[in-house]
Amino acid sequence: MCALPLHAWTLVLAFRDLSWLTDRTNAWDAVGVLCYGLLFALVESVLLFIVTALLGLIVPRRWEVDRRIALLGMFVLVLSLWAMLAQLFFLASAHVPDAIIAFLVRNGHPARLVYGTLLLIVAATFLLPAWVAMRSARGLQFVEALIERLGLLAMFYLIFDAAALVIVVIRNL
Amino acid sequence: MKSSLSRRDFLKAAGMLPLGIGLVPLLQRDGPLQQAADGRRNVLIIVFDAFSAYHLSFHGYGRQTTPNLTRLIDRAIVYHNHYAAGNFTSPGTASLLTGTLSWTHRAFQLNGTVRESFVHKTIFQAFSRYHRIAYSHNPLVNTLFKQFKADIDDYVPQNRLFLTADPLVHNVFGADEDIADVGWTRAIKKEQEGYAYSLFLSDLYKEYIRSKVKGIGVQFPRGIPSVRGDNYFLLEDAIDWLKTEIAQLPQPYLGYIHLMPPHAPCSTHEDFFRTFAGDGFQVPEKPQNVFSGKLTEPELERQRIAYDEYVLYLDREFARLFEYLETSGVLENTWVVLTSDHGELFERGIRGHIAPLLYQPVLRVPLLIFEPGRKSRLDVHAATSAIDLLPTLLHVTGEPPAAWTEGSLLPPFAEGVPDPERDVYAVHAKANDPEAALTHATAMLARGRHKLMYFFGYPELGQGVERVELYDLWADPEELHDLYPAEQVLGRELLAFLKGKLRDVNQPYL
Repeated sequence: MCALPLHAWTLVLAFRDLSWLTDRTNAWDAVGVLCYGLLFALVESVLLFIVTALLGLIVPRRWEVDRRIALLGMFVLVLSLWAMLAQLFFLASAHVPDAIIAFLVRNGHPARLVYGTLLLIVAATFLLPAWVAMRSARGLQFVEALIERLGLLAMFYLIFDAAALVIVVIRNL
Repeated sequence: MKSSLSRRDFLKAAGMLPLGIGLVPLLQRDGPLQQAADGRRNVLIIVFDAFSAYHLSFHGYGRQTTPNLTRLIDRAIVYHNHYAAGNFTSPGTASLLTGTLSWTHRAFQLNGTVRESFVHKTIFQAFSRYHRIAYSHNPLVNTLFKQFKADIDDYVPQNRLFLTADPLVHNVFGADEDIADVGWTRAIKKEQEGYAYSLFLSDLYKEYIRSKVKGIGVQFPRGIPSVRGDNYFLLEDAIDWLKTEIAQLPQPYLGYIHLMPPHAPCSTHEDFFRTFAGDGFQVPEKPQNVFSGKLTEPELERQRIAYDEYVLYLDREFARLFEYLETSGVLENTWVVLTSDHGELFERGIRGHIAPLLYQPVLRVPLLIFEPGRKSRLDVHAATSAIDLLPTLLHVTGEPPAAWTEGSLLPPFAEGVPDPERDVYAVHAKANDPEAALTHATAMLARGRHKLMYFFGYPELGQGVERVELYDLWADPEELHDLYPAEQVLGRELLAFLKGKLRDVNQPYL
C-alpha cells in the first residue's frame, strides 16, 4: 500500500519529463532518469512503510488486525492524496481566486482563517474514512477490497523497480 | 679524501630521506606547474555569466566595480569593443564554444541545443589533443556540455560545487553521476517548480537544505548565491576547487569554467553589501520603445546597485585565482581568458537579458587575454566577437584551425591592421523554431561606428511591421538617439546588407 501512490506519482511525472529529456540527451539517459526516480520511490516506500508500521504500535490492540491494517492503509492513502494535491497546485499553475483573497484580507485574520479551515478539511478527510472503517462492517469490507486491489497493482510497480535497479546497476558498471 | 660513506654518514643521509620525499612535490610547485612535454601551452577560459562590460570601471563605468581587475589588466590584452553573439546563455555560450553565430549553430532558444551537425564542431573537439575539462553552475550551459560530452575528458557535474551537493549521488552513483543527479533533482528537489517525483521526502529534504545553509546566510545579506532555487553555491568554493584541479590536471589542458556570478540573483558578500548605496551615481535615462519593461528608474537603480556590488565579489574572487595562477607559475605556460556569454540590461524599464533587445549593455562583454609571459597591457579598440575566440586560441596554441568557425583571428594575433569596418553580428531568436527560417527575431549588425538593430516578426509590432534602429556608437555610446529616421541612406544600406545575410542563413530552412 505504501508503494502504490509513491510509484504512481513518480511514473506520471517521469513520463511527463521523458520527451523533454530525450530531446536534450538521448533515450537511454531519459530512461536512466526514470529508473533513478523509481529507485528513489522504492526507498521512500520502504521508509513510509517503516513509519506506518511504527504508527501501528500506537493503534489500540483491542481492534482486530484487519481493522488496524485498514485504518493504516487509509491513512497512507489519504496522506498521499493530500501530498499529490499540494503538488498539483503548482503543476497546474493554479492560483487562489481573487475573491477568496479579497475575503481573507477583509476578514482581518487571514492566516488563522486559512489554517483553521484547512485543518478542519484535512482532519475530516482522515477521520471520516477511519470512522467508516471502524464503525461499519460494509465500510471495512470496502476498504479491505480496495487495499487488496491496490496492493495487487503495487506488485507491478515492484517489477518495474526490479527492472530499474538492473538498469541503474548496468549504468554504473 | 675518504670516498666511502661511514655507517654514521649513511644513517644521517637516510634520516633525511622522508624529508626529501616530502619536499619534492613542494619544490615542483614553485616553478610552473607541470608542463606538457612538447611545450604546448594550456588554455583556461573563465566565463562569468551575464557580465556586462558596461558595468566595469576599467571600461569607464562610473562606479569602482573592479578595483582588482583594473590592476591585473596591466598585463593583459584588453578588448574594449567585444560583442557576445547572443543576449542570453544558450546562444551566447554555444557561439563561444562553436565559434559560430546562433543562426548557424541554432541554439537560440532558452535551454536550446546546437544542431546535430555541430555536436562535434566545438572547442572541445578542436582541442582534441588536450585534456579537456568543463564545469558550469548554469544549467543551460550544462545542457550544451551534455551534447558535447563525448569530446570532454572531464565533465564536472554542476552540483559538485553546490553547497547542497548530495554526496549520495557522487559516492553511490559516481560512474553515472550526471544522469543520477538529474534523477535525484527531479525526484527530491521541488524548491524551483513546486513539485517532484517524491511525495514526502522532497519536503523533508527542503527542510534539511534550509538547516544546512542557515549558518552561511549571515554572510550574504541578499541571500546565498544560488541557481534556480535551492542550488546554493559560494564563488570561493569554485575558485578553491579550480586551484586544486589546475594543480592536478594532465598537461596540456583546456579548461572551460563558466561561473554564475554576476547573473541574478545578485547575492553579494557582506563585505560589499551597500558599498554603492546612496552614492549619487546616475546613468542617463533612456528612451522607451515597444519592448520596454515597466520597471521604474528607482527600482532599476536598486537592482543596478545589487548587480554592481555582486561584481565586486566576483572581482575579489578572480583576483584570488589570479594570484594563485601567478605564484604557482601557471601564468607562464597558460593562456588565461576572462570573458562572458552575454551582458545585462538595467534600462528602458527592463532588468535582465532575455528581452528581444540588443542594446550595448547586454551585448558588450569583457574579453581579457592573459598571454603567457606578458608583462604589459595592450588595448584593442577594434570590434571583436565571441566567435573569434575559438579560432584565435587554436592559432596561438599551434593547433590545427577549425574549418567550421565563422570568426576571425583577434588582434594582435591576426596579420595586419584590424579592419575598422568589420561586420559584427548578434541575434536574438528565442521564440523562433530552430528548425525553421528566422521569421521572428532581432538581428544586430555593428559596422565601424554604426550599429543597426532590426526587429521583425514580433506581434507587438503589428502584423508584418518591422522596426529598425540605428546608432552612432562613437558619438552616442548610450544609444539615446535613434538615427534611422534621419540617416535613411546609411540605414537602408546597412539594413539591406543585414537582410541579405538573413536570406543566406535562412536558405537551408526554406
